[in-house]
Amino acid sequence: MLKVENLHVSVEGKPILKGLTLAVNSGEFHVIMGPNGSGKSTLALTIAGHPKYSVEGGRILFDDEDITALGPHERARRGIMLAFQHPPEVEGVRIIEFLQQVLVETKGVDPVEAYDMIIKKAEELWFKEEDLHRHLNVGFSGGERKRLEILQALLIEPKLLILDEPDSGVDVDSLSVISRKIEELHQRGTAVLLITHYGRILGHLDREKLRAHVMKDGRIVKTGSGELVDRIENEGFGKIFEEVEG
Amino acid sequence: MTETITLSDAKVIIENQIEELARRNREPEWMTRIRYKALEAFEKAPLNDLVISEEELLHFIAKPEIEGIPENIESLDDLPPEMKALLDRLGINEVEQKYIAGLAVQTDTGVIYNEFLKEWEKKGLMVLPTEEAVRKYPDIVKQHFLKLFRADENKLTAYHTAVWNGGIFLYVKEGLKVPFPLHLFFLIQESALAQAPHIIIIAEPNTEFHLIEGCTAPILVKHSLHLDMTEAYIHGGAKAQLTVLQNWPEYVHTRPMTRAKIGKGARFINTTVGLGTGKSNVANPRYWVDENGYVELNGILLGQKDWFIDLGGEMYLQGKGAAGINASKAVIMDESTVITRGVIKAEAPKAKGHISCDALLMSDKATMETYPGLVSRVDDAELSHEAAIGKIREEELFYLMSRGLDEEKATQLIVKGFLEPMLKDIPMEFLVEIRKIIELAVSGGM
Repeated sequence: MLKVENLHVSVEGKPILKGLTLAVNSGEFHVIMGPNGSGKSTLALTIAGHPKYSVEGGRILFDDEDITALGPHERARRGIMLAFQHPPEVEGVRIIEFLQQVLVETKGVDPVEAYDMIIKKAEELWFKEEDLHRHLNVGFSGGERKRLEILQALLIEPKLLILDEPDSGVDVDSLSVISRKIEELHQRGTAVLLITHYGRILGHLDREKLRAHVMKDGRIVKTGSGELVDRIENEGFGKIFEEVEG
Repeated sequence: MTETITLSDAKVIIENQIEELARRNREPEWMTRIRYKALEAFEKAPLNDLVISEEELLHFIAKPEIEGIPENIESLDDLPPEMKALLDRLGINEVEQKYIAGLAVQTDTGVIYNEFLKEWEKKGLMVLPTEEAVRKYPDIVKQHFLKLFRADENKLTAYHTAVWNGGIFLYVKEGLKVPFPLHLFFLIQESALAQAPHIIIIAEPNTEFHLIEGCTAPILVKHSLHLDMTEAYIHGGAKAQLTVLQNWPEYVHTRPMTRAKIGKGARFINTTVGLGTGKSNVANPRYWVDENGYVELNGILLGQKDWFIDLGGEMYLQGKGAAGINASKAVIMDESTVITRGVIKAEAPKAKGHISCDALLMSDKATMETYPGLVSRVDDAELSHEAAIGKIREEELFYLMSRGLDEEKATQLIVKGFLEPMLKDIPMEFLVEIRKIIELAVSGGM
C-alpha cells in the first residue's frame, strides 16, 4: 500500500532523510523507533505532505500511485492520516464544526448524521459534547490533544494511520485508552505506522505480527519483529547500532 | 467626469434638493432653516477626507435625479421588482415572516415597517421615518437633531445636514425592554446619489434594545456616496446595542458618522460588521461616557480588492468609573488597506479603557496600520492596548488540510474562526449570511 523509495528530504536546506526505504502493506502494523533527531517525525510529516519538507530524491507511492507531489488534503483523501506529535492550536475553529466539515466533505456524510457520529465516538475518548465546542487544541492538555487525534482517526478511518509519538506527554489513563483505540482501528483493517520510544503503547498486540524498524541519521538501519521493540527498551539503541555498524 | 462642477454649481443643486425635500416631506420651516444654514456652512467648511477630493464630492452632488422609485412606499409590494428580488436574495422577506419582529426597510424615499411594530408602539416603542418624526414630534426632534454634531465641522457634515433624507427615529420609553432585535435596512438604488439618512436613537432610562442596521446587496451602481449620521442618546441605566452590517457594492464610498452620549450606568455596544465596506469607508465614531457608563466599539473589517478602510473611534470617559473598549478584528486581502485608530481619553477618576486590534494579513500587497491612542487626565485611570498583526500560520493550515480539506476551505475555517468571537451578539439568520459573505470573499481573494 505505502512504498517509500530511497527518500531524501531536507528542511530549510538541511538534509534529514538520506535514502529511506519502507513498505507498509494493508492491515500491517509497523513501529518506528530511533533516537531524537534520527528523522522519525520528518518521515511522518513528509508522507503527510507538509510543505516545509522538500523531497530532494526518491518517491512515495500509495496504492501504486506516486503521491510525492500531491498536497496534504489530496493524500488525506486517498486514505493517509497523520496523528500529530504536537497538534497545533487553531484559534476560533470549533472541533465539532471542523470534524463535521471533514466528514461531510471527505466521506459525503450528512451534516446532522456527522454530528451524531462525532458526539458518540467522542464519548469513547472521554470528550463530552461541550468539549467539542472548544477550539481545536486551544488550552488542551497533552492527553486531551492526543485523544483528539485518535478521535479524528476513529472518525476518518484511514487506510494508513501514521502516529507520531501518540504516547508522549500523555497521562497513564489517556495512554491506556489511546492504546486500546489504536488496536481497535488496526483490527478493523487500518494499517498503522507508529513512531514511539516505548513498547507499552503496543499493549496486547501480538509482537510476532509487528514489524519494527530502527532509524538512525535519516535511514532505517534495522528491521525486525516486535521483540526488537522490547530489546531497545531494555538495552537502548547503542547496542543495536554497534551490531549494525560492526 | 465630463464637465467641471464648481462650488457654486453645487450650491444651486443642493438648494434645489433642499426645496424638493422640504416640499416632499411637508417639512416645518425650522427644519428647512437648518438645511439652509448647513448649505451656508458647506461653502466655507473644510473637506478633510482622506479619499474623496473636492472635485469628486461636487461630482457626487451633481448627480441626475432619481427615476423609477415610487414616491410613496407603504409596503414591500410597492417596491420595484428588482428591489424586491434583491430583498428575496437577502432572505429578508423570509426573515421577516419567520423571525424578525421589528423590521424597517429604508429605500431612497421612505421607510417600510411592519405590523408588529405598530403593536409595540402602544408600549412606548416608536420607530418612524425621521421626516415623519420631524412633523409629529417637533419638540423631541429639535432637542436631539444635530446636537452631537455641528453642520460646519466639515463639508460632509454640512452636506449631510443640508440634504439629509430618510433614516429612522427610534424612541424607547423609560423602562421598556424590547425582547427582539429591531432591523433597519439601507439600499442604494441610484448612481451618484448621496444617500444621507439621519438616525436619532433615544433610549430613556433603564431601557433595553438591540437595533440592527443592515446591509445592502451588491447592486451594480457606478458611483455613490453614503453619508449616514447617527445620534444616540443612551440615558441612565439603559442597555442599548447598535449593530451595523455593511455590505456595500464596491463603488460606494461610505462615511458613517456616529456619535453617542452614554448616561450614568448605561451601556452602549456598537458593533460594525464591514463585510463589503465599499470603495472606501472612513468612520470616526465618538462617544461621551458618564459615571459608571460603558461603551464598546467592535469593528469587524474585511478588506478586499483595493478598498480603503479607516476606522477610528474616540471615547471620552467623562464620569467616574466610566469604561470603554475599542476592539477590532480585520481580515485584509488583495491590495486593500485597513487602518484602525481608536482613541480613549480618561477624564475622570477610575476610568478604564482598552484598545485591541487583531489583523490577519492574507496578501503581501495588503496593508494594515494601527494607531492606538490613550490619553489620561487623571492619575488613577487604567488604560491599555494590544495589537497583533499576523498571517495564517502554516502549521494551522497544514493541520486542517491533513484531514482532507483543501486550502480554500481550510483558510475559510481559520478566517471565520478569527472573526467569530466578534459576532457573538448577531442573530443566527444574519450569521449565516455573514459567514457566506466571508467564505465568498476568502475564495475570491485566493
